[in-house]
Amino acid sequence: MPKEESSKVTRRNTRSSASVTVENPEPIESHPPTIDDLTFGDESITLDAVVSDFPGRRSQIFDFIRLMGPLDCPTLPIMIYGGASTGKTSVVLQVLRHLNRPFVYSSCRTCYNPRILFESILNQLLLHRKCSSNGYSSAKRCDKPSDFVNLVREALSNVIKTLESASGTSRLNKPDEKPMGKMVYLILDNVDLIRDWDKGSMILQFLFSLDSVLKMPQLGIVLISGLPPDVYYSNMGYTDPIPIFFPEYSEEDLRQIFLRNQANQKLYSAFLDAVLRSFCRVTRRVEELSTTFSSLFRKYCEPLDDLGISPNEDMKRRLYSHLKPFIAPCLNDVFRISSHPHDGETRGERRQKVSFSSENREELKILDFHMSTSAKYLLIAAFLASRNPATLDASMFDSTGGMDNRKRKRKASEKSMEKKEIAEQEAVMKGPGSFPLERLLAIFQCIASVGDSSFGEEKEGEEEEDATGYERENNNLMSDILLQVSSLCDANFLIKSGSCPLEGSIRYRSMVSEDLALKVAKSLSFPLAKYLYRR
Amino acid sequence: MGKEIPAEKSLNLIRGRLCDPSFIFRPLSASSDSNYSKLKFIVSTSITEGCNNSILLLGPRGSGKTAVLDLVVGDLLEQFPDSVSVIRLNGLLHSDDNCAFKEIARQLCMEHHLLFSKMASFDENSHFIIAMLRECGLAHKTIIFVLDEFDMFAQARILISFNLLIGKQRLLYSLLDAMQSVTSQAVVIGISSRLDADQLLEKRVRSRFSHRKILFLPPSRDELDGLLEHLLSLPADSSFPSGYVSRFNDKIKNITSDRRFKDILKTFFNAHSTVNSFLKFIFCAVSLMNLESGLLSLENFKAALSSMQRQPKLEAVRDCSVLELYLLVCMRRLEVKEQSSYNFISVMKEYKAIHDSFQTSDYYAQNVCIRGFEHLRERQVICYAENRGQSQTGEYRPMKLLISASELHQGMRSHACCPAILLKLLDH
Repeated sequence: MPKEESSKVTRRNTRSSASVTVENPEPIESHPPTIDDLTFGDESITLDAVVSDFPGRRSQIFDFIRLMGPLDCPTLPIMIYGGASTGKTSVVLQVLRHLNRPFVYSSCRTCYNPRILFESILNQLLLHRKCSSNGYSSAKRCDKPSDFVNLVREALSNVIKTLESASGTSRLNKPDEKPMGKMVYLILDNVDLIRDWDKGSMILQFLFSLDSVLKMPQLGIVLISGLPPDVYYSNMGYTDPIPIFFPEYSEEDLRQIFLRNQANQKLYSAFLDAVLRSFCRVTRRVEELSTTFSSLFRKYCEPLDDLGISPNEDMKRRLYSHLKPFIAPCLNDVFRISSHPHDGETRGERRQKVSFSSENREELKILDFHMSTSAKYLLIAAFLASRNPATLDASMFDSTGGMDNRKRKRKASEKSMEKKEIAEQEAVMKGPGSFPLERLLAIFQCIASVGDSSFGEEKEGEEEEDATGYERENNNLMSDILLQVSSLCDANFLIKSGSCPLEGSIRYRSMVSEDLALKVAKSLSFPLAKYLYRR
Repeated sequence: MGKEIPAEKSLNLIRGRLCDPSFIFRPLSASSDSNYSKLKFIVSTSITEGCNNSILLLGPRGSGKTAVLDLVVGDLLEQFPDSVSVIRLNGLLHSDDNCAFKEIARQLCMEHHLLFSKMASFDENSHFIIAMLRECGLAHKTIIFVLDEFDMFAQARILISFNLLIGKQRLLYSLLDAMQSVTSQAVVIGISSRLDADQLLEKRVRSRFSHRKILFLPPSRDELDGLLEHLLSLPADSSFPSGYVSRFNDKIKNITSDRRFKDILKTFFNAHSTVNSFLKFIFCAVSLMNLESGLLSLENFKAALSSMQRQPKLEAVRDCSVLELYLLVCMRRLEVKEQSSYNFISVMKEYKAIHDSFQTSDYYAQNVCIRGFEHLRERQVICYAENRGQSQTGEYRPMKLLISASELHQGMRSHACCPAILLKLLDH
């Protein structure tokens, strides 16, 4: 949603970090913050513009405006809730921009503890701006709700006094501008994050009853939450704010959103016809879809020379058949964000790059990353140590190398099948097992030698020298193995799980999925399946 | 254009009334046996007779305890301007003693135009307060302590050590003790939504507390009808055009006497009983008022009712994508199979089994599913069953559903594009 981003950015520039804007740094130093800074700053936008900016949010916008009421209307607290990327914050901010009312905005994501939250609200109300001259300090030090109430009451009554005196004069000065009114709105974003704070439930209680604690009808409170109101119920209770629900966008809304700001509407609409429905079944989040669609659309346009054309039916079919092979794999990694920034490039370069990355993709099918041989063996060893029971190690890695699975196959009775099922379930619940370092090293040594010998056999006929090279490497393989273990830990392939209470040594756990382990084994041509114990 | 201004004005007036508790509770307290009269009698006798007293106001949240108290205090301040001072504390804000004493000292200083020192220690503050109590007692001045969220002052925190538990009630103890031992005049009024608030007190505190309680009950129908008219009817003598006022009031009368309106109110009161929630309902309806005609309509109340009756879990299910629905159905099926606990891996197994037997078109890779899983967790439709096992990664931690089978069923029925096969899978 490029629109949403830009609106947030402009807002930030107008307010808190205005001193960092690059274009014209000189007037900012001289300009002391005034009461006007509590509004959006830019000229307000019309209601039609707000509604057309947010497809599918029409009823929510109107509900919100109605609850805000006409100028100088006292309001009860409002809670806006809905899933991620449904436009909650941007709608609220744009509506306030439309109404041109003074407001204070603090997000609990950036203000990650009570003190920062309180101070950020107070700074805005006191028109205080952090800058180098005041050592980037807040206007007031405040970390307790009790202090906050006193300070906010004081600051608010000052703000309202100025608003009241200003409301007469400003209308005379600028007759075309909307009056600001005598209300101040407090917008708290991401309220749901407070639940994870230290003493979060207390803070939530406090914020929900802030209205009745302050008893100031000139303050309107808007809470924005990712979670529905029922998750905040605690045994203390509070009077609910008035809810407005922002549902997830429907397919039609998504189409409208993606068609915005597109150069060639017809082409893009044909593209959406091809992909939108199937992607909607996986996720309906705009942010996730937009990353996937931007790369898919480039692929869609590949056969075209002129991006300005409006495609006819035949062309659409041709483009679709070109795109079709990419859709299924793309569906299966919907959430991958491409690492190549494409934005500022010319088209030719872009195409080159795309073809390059698609070639890369083919290669990556084998293994997505580079790893040294010893690290690969170590990874497999860790995988085996996590999956296989320790008691079977001896029989697995005896001189014959590997277990003969067939020997154990017998027709199982019904009861044993049941037992097996239960055991399997338990294993799934328990997840990969943990193991000490010694066991990992022992298995590593076993499989490294087996792997080498099998490698040697294969390559024997081809090149003698290579085999000896391996021999040499075999010795080296053990040399910095502890270093490898720690780097695998850093890469999250292994995790250190709590130390064993009896032995006191650290235990490890392999976090590798079976697919990846098989892939790694394949790249070494190591017969992993032979060593894997199956119940 | 000329019509819009009275409409906005009336909206402004009514919303102002709705946000002003003293306007709402004034008529409710007119009768002689109302809580207002009881409270006022008790407090004013203790002021005139110069004795100590303590009262608890109990009732559900939003039943107007604070509002009635504010009315009483306001009236008493008018009646005895020189011999009453009010100290307000809130359990949410001042539940720790240090904070509470500081706040009392601050408010006393404000009241008596003394200089308040922020740096004063706990001990200094408590000496100051006792001295002030004595001074006020000598001057025949009554101090009213209003303790909102009284239970928070009294609440025994089991988790915190016993030491703190004593400390927790130190404020109450020292207040009540000071009242007994010093020649003072003070009234302690506790407000709480817990009916057992006085049982939370320690023995030594309870013995110093008089067990006078005033209960706040939900308003009767007659009272509500009166309140409704009181709230919504426009005054005739104001600057509204006279035709507008009579039209507006007629319309209100029309609506309130309507059978359907009574039904709406009935359904509303099935779920909510307090005055505050009723006010919220009226607020929603009023803000839906059509500014063109400037009149309220029955539809406004209907819409307000539906906006108040939210079913967040159903909404959450309706928000799910098809993949997320599959995951939910898989989890539900595992629950039906009486599998005691399950994690992502076992859900994936079930998902694969469904795919194998029905050849659904929605079969996605594991990394896509895990993101769907995360989305569900973000929306609080599912959560981790236990907080331990942090060492395991998310896939292996046991999960549980936070919605019931019927909610899932209902939500999927009303989902925009739920595949038919999923509903079938859910049933067996």
